[in-house]
Amino acid sequence: MRGRFRFGLSVVILTAALAAATAGWTASGERHASLQLLRVSSTAAVTTWDPIASFSTEVFYMANVYEPLIWATQTRKGKTTFTPGLASTWSHNGDSTRWTFHLRKGVTFHNGDPVTSADVKASIEAAADHGGASFIWSALKSVVTPDASTVIINASAPARIDLVASSEYDAWIVCKSALEAAAKDSKYWASGRECGTGPYMLKSYTAGTQVVLAGYQKYWRGLKGHFQNVVVQITPEAITQQQMLTSGQIDLAFYPPSENLKKLVASGKFTKTVAPTSETYVAFFNTTRAPLDNKTVRQALSWAMPYANIVKVGAYGLGTQSRGPVPKGIFPWSKTTPQYHQNLAKARKLLARAGHQGGKFTLNLTYAAENQAEARFAPLIKDAFKKVGVKVNLKAILFNQQWAQAKADPTKAQDIFLLLYWPTYSDAGADNLWSLFHSSKKPFFNLSYWKSETYDKLVDDGAAITGSNEAAAQSKYNQAMRMLYNEAPGAYLFDARVALLVPKGLTARGVMNINYPFVAFFYNVKKKG
Amino acid sequence: MLHWIGRRLLSSIVTLFAITTITFVLARVIPSDPAAVYIGPLARPAEIARVTKQLGLDRSVPVQYLAYMRDLFKGDWGSSLATKEPVLGGIMHRLPATLELILSAMTIAVLVGVPLGVLAARMTGRPIDVVVRIGSVVGISMPIFWLGLLMQAFLSGKLGLVPPTSRLDLTTSVLNPIPHHTGFNLIDAAIAGRWATLGDAAKHLVLPALTLAAYPTGLVARMTRASMLDVLNQDYIRTARTFGLRERRILWQLALRNAFAPTLTVIGLSFAYLLTGTFFVELVYDWPGIGQFATNALLNVDYPVIMGITLFGAIGFLSINLVVDLLQARLDPRVRLR
Repeated sequence: MRGRFRFGLSVVILTAALAAATAGWTASGERHASLQLLRVSSTAAVTTWDPIASFSTEVFYMANVYEPLIWATQTRKGKTTFTPGLASTWSHNGDSTRWTFHLRKGVTFHNGDPVTSADVKASIEAAADHGGASFIWSALKSVVTPDASTVIINASAPARIDLVASSEYDAWIVCKSALEAAAKDSKYWASGRECGTGPYMLKSYTAGTQVVLAGYQKYWRGLKGHFQNVVVQITPEAITQQQMLTSGQIDLAFYPPSENLKKLVASGKFTKTVAPTSETYVAFFNTTRAPLDNKTVRQALSWAMPYANIVKVGAYGLGTQSRGPVPKGIFPWSKTTPQYHQNLAKARKLLARAGHQGGKFTLNLTYAAENQAEARFAPLIKDAFKKVGVKVNLKAILFNQQWAQAKADPTKAQDIFLLLYWPTYSDAGADNLWSLFHSSKKPFFNLSYWKSETYDKLVDDGAAITGSNEAAAQSKYNQAMRMLYNEAPGAYLFDARVALLVPKGLTARGVMNINYPFVAFFYNVKKKG
Repeated sequence: MLHWIGRRLLSSIVTLFAITTITFVLARVIPSDPAAVYIGPLARPAEIARVTKQLGLDRSVPVQYLAYMRDLFKGDWGSSLATKEPVLGGIMHRLPATLELILSAMTIAVLVGVPLGVLAARMTGRPIDVVVRIGSVVGISMPIFWLGLLMQAFLSGKLGLVPPTSRLDLTTSVLNPIPHHTGFNLIDAAIAGRWATLGDAAKHLVLPALTLAAYPTGLVARMTRASMLDVLNQDYIRTARTFGLRERRILWQLALRNAFAPTLTVIGLSFAYLLTGTFFVELVYDWPGIGQFATNALLNVDYPVIMGITLFGAIGFLSINLVVDLLQARLDPRVRLR
């Protein structure tokens, strides 16, 4: 009898709940009629809340919670420039080995402590010592704090400390007390703690699901007219993001399906904002074995590559063909770097010259299965190469596996590796050119396995003089990029752009910044009018 | 019976040991760089080397295995490489969401499947029987993710009846969260007397629960129909009819009770099936349960989580089988536990 009663009760509860649902009850009441809550969907997962160890997609949130000394931004002409962050002014000596930052007065951390030079010193030293991107501070010699609001960064050689201090990784200023606590307790950050100065505080984190940020009322730039709370639903599937957006569950979606952007804009509910990014796609040719150890074959394949179609189909037009592996808008990009354009006749001629009349060889191409753009444009490469007699076997595998295989044994690895890459900070000379094509004992990101002492020297020299003579560094890098064009260890496909769908009632100017890939600055989302 | 339970538990432990060993070996065989997953895709060799040492991945595989088994017995299932959260904690944290979904789906399956099966058996060969049989086959054979996307596009996208994703309206969950008692939103909202939130939670549950219920409903309906047909041809049913017992009583009390044992087995197996079937549903509906945890882990090659969920699924599967066998013996005296 009791069993029947329990069963009956559960039926009643379920029925009541379903009835309530179909009756259209709403729990939310008013939506975001005020600036109380901004609802966002993003793919950005959190791998750590440690601002020093952070080196992944959690930067999406970190950039709203923490601030660097200075911010990198882009001029209308596409040059990188800097705006004040926690430092209101800064300067450097003649050879860029001594950088002085004057801290803004009256700024406090989220725990209420004032920002002092001791916090800056502790943050930089921690980043240089065990940061996820500690290499960006490789030129650091010492941090000196003559008073509470002055920080002097001494470099061991001329260095662009402004580029480093505005990096999206390992340039965040964290309160010293939290860093000291984290040094004693390795799990200090695990529960979702933070101690930044940014416009938002981390209110709660549900692992893998949701991040809630609450406005910091004492934020030095003020919070009036800005959203008071932000909730980010971590949604890996782009199509799910779209469903949430169109049903009104969220206000903003980052990376909704590119193929549906036109349709969504046509609905009249959204406006599309397109912004450049520093993400670039490269196809590495495995230079360790035949036939791709032959420069002429690589050049032939570079001429056979369907660049325009890759941008059109792979990126749905959201991109521009690359000029080398440096994305446009990031130093040392140059419009003088030559580009290949699809020319099948030329490709066939070069193949014949290399002893491969009519192609007649097979290549294995791997791409990241989870990357929708690569999944769309990889078949275009296969079709284009078929036209010059080269058969391509496509293999979609998870990026982590693809990467592990590529690094294991180059002679047994893939022939072509598709990679999406972005620089850690706004110096793609020291990053992209070095990481992607500089030789190393063990392969890391150079998955063409190409080795050239001349190239290495050009890039090393460029990096060494960037701080003291940018024009001379640019010249070195230009030579290096021209070498990459001639030697063709990879094909430089396209620089990606990102589209953000914004509901008609909101504006999102300044939400994206090319120098901070994967970041959305929620502070800049405002209501119209 | 105690002897039987003891033997089953022993064989379960052996099975779990084998599963743990196999998943551990597989995790080491697949090409992946766990340290790179841990620290992020841009990390440099020096950082990766540091993390490799920190995670103990520089030790030999047998040493790693022994350490893993030792920690497992201590209740430490390791930490996620991607989110850094403890695996067991992560599973337990997401379990209520998954259980709420599975229990709702199973409730629908039993409430709909059993009556349909009984009705189809009573009206064999008539249109209702044909509809139930075809409907069952469709429910069983339609890929769950496809059904999910269709329902999402139609019921939510086209008709706007229910929300397409999530467990709760974001505004509610942030500005007016439900006090946490059980982790089941329906129950917690009811306990708190938050009827509007209860309605919202139920509204969010409709699509995933209906999608997940398709397979077990079809299976339960078919099994009930088949068992009922067997029972309805028995002598004692004919005798009952001769004695003038009302048809409703014959069907629902006499026949169904005896026909229910095979259905119960199917319900138990379906429940276990749903533990993995929920993966696709949670992915489609952005449901923050174990399935979503597993999917993300698979995409990241986050092997501590993959191993933890495999082990947890195996424990769940073995436990449900054990309970179903015990229930079957209780319901049907002809079943003996040997």
